[in-house]
Amino acid sequence: MSAGDGCGAPAGGAPMPASASGEAVIEGHVTRGGTPVPAGYARLLNDGGEFVAEVPLGDDGGFRFFAAPGTWTVRVLAPGGVNTDQTVTASRGHRTPVEVSI
Amino acid sequence: MSRSDVLVDADWVQAHLDDPGVVLVEVDEDTTAYDKGHIRGAVKIDWKKDLQDPVRRDFVDRHGFEQLLSERGIANDDTVILYGGNNNWFAAYAYWYFKLYGHRNVRLLDGGRKKWELDSREMVTAVPERPRTSYQATEQDPSLRAKRDEVIAAIGKQNLVDVRSPDEFTGKLLAPAHLPQEQAQRAGHIPTAKNVPWSKAANDDGTFRTDDQLRTLYQGEAHLDFGKDTIAYCRIGERSAHTWFVLHELLGLPHVKNYDGSWTEYGSLVGVPIELGEAR
Repeated sequence: MSAGDGCGAPAGGAPMPASASGEAVIEGHVTRGGTPVPAGYARLLNDGGEFVAEVPLGDDGGFRFFAAPGTWTVRVLAPGGVNTDQTVTASRGHRTPVEVSI
Repeated sequence: MSRSDVLVDADWVQAHLDDPGVVLVEVDEDTTAYDKGHIRGAVKIDWKKDLQDPVRRDFVDRHGFEQLLSERGIANDDTVILYGGNNNWFAAYAYWYFKLYGHRNVRLLDGGRKKWELDSREMVTAVPERPRTSYQATEQDPSLRAKRDEVIAAIGKQNLVDVRSPDEFTGKLLAPAHLPQEQAQRAGHIPTAKNVPWSKAANDDGTFRTDDQLRTLYQGEAHLDFGKDTIAYCRIGERSAHTWFVLHELLGLPHVKNYDGSWTEYGSLVGVPIELGEAR
């Protein structure tokens, strides 16, 4: 489904579009002891701490956001009360990796 | 109307899983999550395939809604419990849609699928078989749905609540940040709209904040005039259905409409006013 007619967040985040040179991508995986965590959520907060987006983790614990240049926080929620934050700086035309170990 | 008439928690659902008068419905735009696992006994509704007209941009008509609910085995007197992913956006949209077509007893599962998963509650893959019903819907209730001309006429007169993220409101982003940003619409917001992101009405686990917190949010912080009519919008109308639910169902405001055309319509209209940056 194209972004124009939908709004939902697919597990793991939306796939990279064929032409993504204008995107500021933040992407990564959530692991526990080196094993992917597929049950959980990644949220993106802006530099004011406001919620911007959330995706369910993919089967490989993966997530992806299409942000804008700037500083963001990735918050991971998982069963067992896991709630952990990581700060990340995104820039246009780059895929910024974030690996989260819980 | 009390909160329990419109909202149930996970414990309530757990206790009513085998109640024959209660039908659980998982609603999402992407129903692969349902296929991987859902609450026992839940049927699925696909937000796009089941609720949207396949050709033009509009809802399925009354007859189509009757066919859908009959085929899912939902009767007029059933208590329908809606839940879904994306913090219940699409479930809230379906709630509003069920109300639009006159279903009497419909409630949301507080926190939706996320809360259920974070609680590590049981999920199954078995799809229930429900006997077909003969569902009768009413005509759409126009008091719940705003169309574009009404939205333009409401500028500066009614409460307009833009429930997208601050970055979409100011024009920095064109879509939620889990989606690619290259879109056809202009960026910005409808003049005089207040930005109260849907997410401020919910906790991290997707449950709604308390009535007192919600009243403080909309009245105390955003200075919404509760004496005026209100129109909520977002990008395609599902996040604003979440806010419509808060304002109309939880806080009991009498005149609240959801503008389902939202920014993908408004931001493409020729000649309409658009404001950029912070609310003025």
